[in-house]
Amino acid sequence: MEFLEVIEQLAPVRALRMSFYAYPLVNAAHILLIGVLLTSVILMDLRILGLFPSQDRRPFLRLMRGLALTAFCGAAASGLSLFAVRAGEYAFNPAFRLKMLLILLAGLNLLALRLWNSDAAGFPGAGPAARASALLSILLWMGVLICGRFIGFL
Amino acid sequence: MNAIHAIRHSLRASLALGLAATFSLPALAHHGWSWTEDGLFELRGTITELYIGNPHATLDVDVEGEIWRVELAPPSRTVAAGFAEDTASPGDEVIAIGNRSLDPNERRMKAVRIIINETAYDVYPGRVPTD
Repeated sequence: MEFLEVIEQLAPVRALRMSFYAYPLVNAAHILLIGVLLTSVILMDLRILGLFPSQDRRPFLRLMRGLALTAFCGAAASGLSLFAVRAGEYAFNPAFRLKMLLILLAGLNLLALRLWNSDAAGFPGAGPAARASALLSILLWMGVLICGRFIGFL
Repeated sequence: MNAIHAIRHSLRASLALGLAATFSLPALAHHGWSWTEDGLFELRGTITELYIGNPHATLDVDVEGEIWRVELAPPSRTVAAGFAEDTASPGDEVIAIGNRSLDPNERRMKAVRIIINETAYDVYPGRVPTD
């Protein structure tokens, strides 16, 4: 609890809390980055599932992976800023908690894919386990998106 | 073939679920007034907590032992109405006039006017009744 209060009292967080322009702009950045993240993740997963066979597998996956990782970092940073404004409230919001759990599961799913179903260069295989992982990834990230939208309505 | 069929089926099901969730949002939205009753509602109680900030200010009000969430305007608008962090503190009596949730079981309302110590703060002046 104290930790959440400390976050809320940081000078930049206090400024963001009362800002007229900054908060909606950070909000817009968060939406943009979520859009890039979800799009690149889903395209990557669909490629693993065998769609878009005309796209060369490795360059396509490399491009999407780079986009996804960059967008995730930006979305996490902007999201943390939005969270910090009212940390004590959001930390107990069921939609927020479920969203964090789903992000954790998506991370573990990615780790499993990387550890057990990828080649030496880090590219995922095309077997059933890799496909299952790709399908799960789509579902988890869709869940993250929907949970995020519900935070403001609980 | 069965596996592909199952994947297609679950994709379709999750798409339908996602769409259902998306289109059910406006009814739940606490932005705007779509979730509130049309008629004005008055709440009297004691402030237990106040928050002035983005995305919008809120008061938690104890009404005979039940805690109500009173939503105000975004901070710029709330402060422009004269209501700031030092205007009130927990323990103060408050009268909130506004629109309550359409859900009768939800102890939540969106205020257009807050009255503390006989001073009125109109956070949505255009919606305050002419009296």
